[in-house]
Amino acid sequence: MTKPGVPILELVGVEKVFPNGTCALRGVDLAVWSGKVHGLLGANGAGKSTLIKVLSGAIPASKGAVIWRGSRVNWSTPAEVKAAGIATLHQHIPLVPTLSVLENVFLGDHGIWRCSPVDGARFDQLTASIGYDIDPYALVADLSIGQRQMVAILQALAAGADLIVMDEPTASLASEEREVVYRVVRHLAASEGKAVVFVSHFLDEIIALTDEVTILRDGTSVLHARTKDLDEENIATAIAGQPVVSLSPPDTRVSVFRDEPFLVVDELSSPDTLAPCSFKVFRGEIVGVAGFLGSGRSELLHAIFRADPHAAGSVRLCGTQVGNSVSAAIHAGIALVPEDRMRQGLVPDFELWKNMTLPHLQNVARAGVFPVRAREFEWAQEAVRRLSVRTISVDIPVSELSGGNAQKIAIAKWLFGGTRLFLLDEPTAGIDVGARANILQLVREIAASGSAVILVSSDFEELLSVSDRVVVMHKGRIVAERHAHETSEHELILLSGGVTSAVRHQPATSCIQQPTREIP
Amino acid sequence: MTTRAALIRYLSLREAGVYYAFLLLLAVLAIASAMDGRPNYLSATNLTNILDQASLVGIMGVAMTVILITGNFDLSVASVAALAAAILVGTTDIIGFWPALVAALAAAACVGLLNGIIVQFLGINAFIVTLGTLTAIRGLVLIITDGRSLMVQNPDALIAMTNFESGRVDLYWPLLTAGVLLALTSIVAILRHRVMRSLPAMWPFGTAATGIAMAGLALLAGPTLSVANPVIYLFAFAFLAWLVLTFTTVGRRLYAVGGNAEAARLSGINVNAYKLGAFLLCSVAAGFAGVLFGCRFGAVNPTALQGGELTVIAAAILGGTSLFGGAGSVVKTVIGALLLFTLTNGFNILNLGANYQGVIEGTVIIVAAAIYTVGGKRRHATGRNKASGRATTEKAAISATPTEDAI
Repeated sequence: MTKPGVPILELVGVEKVFPNGTCALRGVDLAVWSGKVHGLLGANGAGKSTLIKVLSGAIPASKGAVIWRGSRVNWSTPAEVKAAGIATLHQHIPLVPTLSVLENVFLGDHGIWRCSPVDGARFDQLTASIGYDIDPYALVADLSIGQRQMVAILQALAAGADLIVMDEPTASLASEEREVVYRVVRHLAASEGKAVVFVSHFLDEIIALTDEVTILRDGTSVLHARTKDLDEENIATAIAGQPVVSLSPPDTRVSVFRDEPFLVVDELSSPDTLAPCSFKVFRGEIVGVAGFLGSGRSELLHAIFRADPHAAGSVRLCGTQVGNSVSAAIHAGIALVPEDRMRQGLVPDFELWKNMTLPHLQNVARAGVFPVRAREFEWAQEAVRRLSVRTISVDIPVSELSGGNAQKIAIAKWLFGGTRLFLLDEPTAGIDVGARANILQLVREIAASGSAVILVSSDFEELLSVSDRVVVMHKGRIVAERHAHETSEHELILLSGGVTSAVRHQPATSCIQQPTREIP
Repeated sequence: MTTRAALIRYLSLREAGVYYAFLLLLAVLAIASAMDGRPNYLSATNLTNILDQASLVGIMGVAMTVILITGNFDLSVASVAALAAAILVGTTDIIGFWPALVAALAAAACVGLLNGIIVQFLGINAFIVTLGTLTAIRGLVLIITDGRSLMVQNPDALIAMTNFESGRVDLYWPLLTAGVLLALTSIVAILRHRVMRSLPAMWPFGTAATGIAMAGLALLAGPTLSVANPVIYLFAFAFLAWLVLTFTTVGRRLYAVGGNAEAARLSGINVNAYKLGAFLLCSVAAGFAGVLFGCRFGAVNPTALQGGELTVIAAAILGGTSLFGGAGSVVKTVIGALLLFTLTNGFNILNLGANYQGVIEGTVIIVAAAIYTVGGKRRHATGRNKASGRATTEKAAISATPTEDAI
C-alpha cells in the first residue's frame, strides 16, 4: 500500500514533445494523494489531453519523472499502467453495448466462464462500496450516459484501481446525473481512500467537488493549491493567464451596420438540447458563441441552419422568414461549417472540386442539371488560391489533405453561392497555426464584405480577438451577452462555467501560490 | 493530377480490372475452344447468346448499382421480378398485355416504395428489410400462382408478348455507326480538353474505347448481326443511367448521399428523397426484368428467378461497386454480368461439367473483391505518403513510384 506522507502519484517536470516538433507539455508537476479529489483544469490546448494520455500510458513522456507510490516508474503500455492501479475514464466510454452491466464490469477478468456465481457477489460488494445501485443484468446499450459513467467506474474498481482519472465526466450529463457522479466521486475519495483526478471545464463543480486543484496553461502547471483557498476568480485568471494578448486588436474593424437587424432568431429551441434562444445579428458583424462541450452551442447553429428537424422557433434573414429545411436555409444564403469536418462537412472520397460545388451545384450546371467541369475547376482553383490550401491539385480526394487544409475546403464550399450568413462551428479546432491564421483572416474578410458570421469556438482568446460581440451558452441556454472589448477571457470562462453572479474584472491573487514555472 | 497520371489510375487493375478480366476470359475461351476443335467461340451467334442471357441480370444490376451507390442494399429484386412476372402472366388474359404490363410495374414500384419508406423513415437496416421483403414477396408469388405454373392462353396476348420480348433487332449498321460516332466525338472531346488545358475528365477515354469496341464487334460479327429486344433494353437503360450518373446534378448528389449522408444533408441535399428514389428505381427495374421473363416463356412458375438477387449483387461487386456506398459504375456492372454469364456459357460450350461452375464463379468474385480492396488500400497509402511529402522508407518510395513518376 501507499506509504503515508507520500503522494500516490507524483509527476516532476514531465515534458512531451511529439515527433512533429509540437511541444505539448513543457514541464508539469502534479501530486495526487490517496483519499483526495484532484481537479485538473486548463483551456483548450493547455495540454490536459496529452497529460491524461501520459497518465494512462497511451504515450510515453519525453522527459521528467513519474513517481508511483514513492518509486520512479517507466511505463510504456496502457496494460502496465492498468496493472499498477491507474484507471482512466475517457469521455467516450469504451463499454460493450451488447453485454450486460455485470459482464462489462468484469470484462478484464481472464476466467473461462462467462458468468461465474462469484461475480454476482463481487458486483454487490462493488456497488455497495461506491454507494450506487444498478441492475447488473441491464444491457449497457439501454443505459443513459450517466449510468455508463458509473459502469465505467465500477469496471475501474473491479480491476483494482487506486487512482481514477476522469476526463470531463460530466460534460454531456444532465444535472441530476451530475449529482450522482459527484456523490460517487466524493464517496470514493472519502470512504474508500481512492485518489481521483477530475478533469473539468465547469468551475462550479471544481470548487464544490475537489480538494486540490492543478491548473495547466501552455503545457505547464501554473497553479497548484488547495481548493478551499481558491475561488472561481483566481481559477479563471490562472486558466486564462494574463495579460490576455489579442491576436489582433478587435477595434480595427468598423463596418458593422447597426441600423437594421440582418439575422433575427426568435425563440429558437430544440427539445432536451436547446432552451428558447432569441438574438439578433447585424450586417458585417462577427458574433462569437462561447461555451464548453455540451453547452448547446453546436445545437444552436444546427437549429439556425434548419438542420434540426425537431427545432421550434423562427429564423429571419434580412426580414424574410427562412423555411424549415436545410435547402431553404442554403437558398436564403446561410452556410454551416460543422464541427466534425470529415464526418459532417465533407464527402471524403470526393475530389476537392466535387466537395466544393456540392451545396450550389445548380449554379455551375448548364440548365441547372448538367454540371460544367471547367466551371467547377475554376471555382475550386480560385478557392484553393484564396485560402492558400496546400495541395498538389484540386483533383485529389479531400481525404488525402491534412486537417487544416480539409477544414479550408469545408469552408470554401460555401464561398461561391451568394452566402450571406456563415455559421462556423469550431473552425480552428485541431489545426495548425498557419491554417488558423488563414481561416481567421477569411472570417474577417467575410464580415467586411457585408455578410455576417456566427463563430463557435472553445478558444476564448480567439473568440475575443475576432468577434464584435460574444454570447455565452451554458447548459442549452444563452446566459450572457458581452461586447468583445468589454469582456475578458477570464469572464467568459466564468460565465461558461456556470458562474453568473459577482463577476468582477480584476483578478484576486492574494491566496494563490506563485506559478510553479515561468512561461517561456 | 496530370492527364497522364489520371489515365494511369483509370487504367489500373483496381479501376479497370473487370474489363481486363472479361477480355482475358473471352480470349481463354476462344483459344480453348479452338484447340478443342470446336466452332468459333467468338461467333456472332454465341456472343449475342451471352448478351441475351445476361440481359435480365444486367438490367437489375444497373439499378442495383445505383442503390449501392446511395449506400443502401436491395435483396428483394429477384422476388419482385417474379411478382411482376406472375402479375403479368396472371392478368394478361383478362385485361390485355399492355394494362397487365403497367399493373406489374406498378406492383413492383409499390414494393420499392415500401422498402424505401421502411428503411428511410423507420431507420431499419436495408439488408434486413429487403431480406424480409425477399421472403414475403416470394410468398405473395406463391399465393398469386397458388403454387402452380401460370400460363397465358390468349393467342393475341401471346403474340404481343413475343413481339415485346423476342423480337430481334438488326444491329450491324446501327452498332457500327454508333460505335464510330462515339469514338469520334470522344476523341474530339479529348483533343478539346488538351487544347483548353483544362483538368482531365476521364469519360472520353472510356467512351472512345467503348465506341471502338462497338464498331469492332459489329465488324467481327458481320452484317447478319442481330440481337433480341432485352439486350437493347439493357443497353438503353445502362446508357441512360450512365448519362445521369456522370453528367447530371442528380448523379453527383447520388454519389454524395452514399459517400457521406450527413455531409450531403448539411449541403442541402434531400437525402431521403434520393435514397427512396433509388429503392423505387431498383424495384421498377426488377419488375421490368420480371416482365421480360414472363414474356419470354408466356408462363411463370412460383420459383422463377429464385436466388437471382445474388447473381445481380455479384455482378455489381465484380464491377467494383462498393457495398459501403459512394462508389460504383453501371458500365462495369454490365461487364460484370457479362463476365458471369460468359463463364457459364464457356462451361457449357467446353463441356466442362456444371459441377465446377460454382467453385469457379465464387473464386472469381472473391478474387475481384480482393483486388479492389487491396488495390484501394495501396492507393490510400500512396496518397498519404505524398500528402506528407515524405517517402521515408524504401518501401514507401517504391509504392509511391508509379504515381509520382507520372506527375
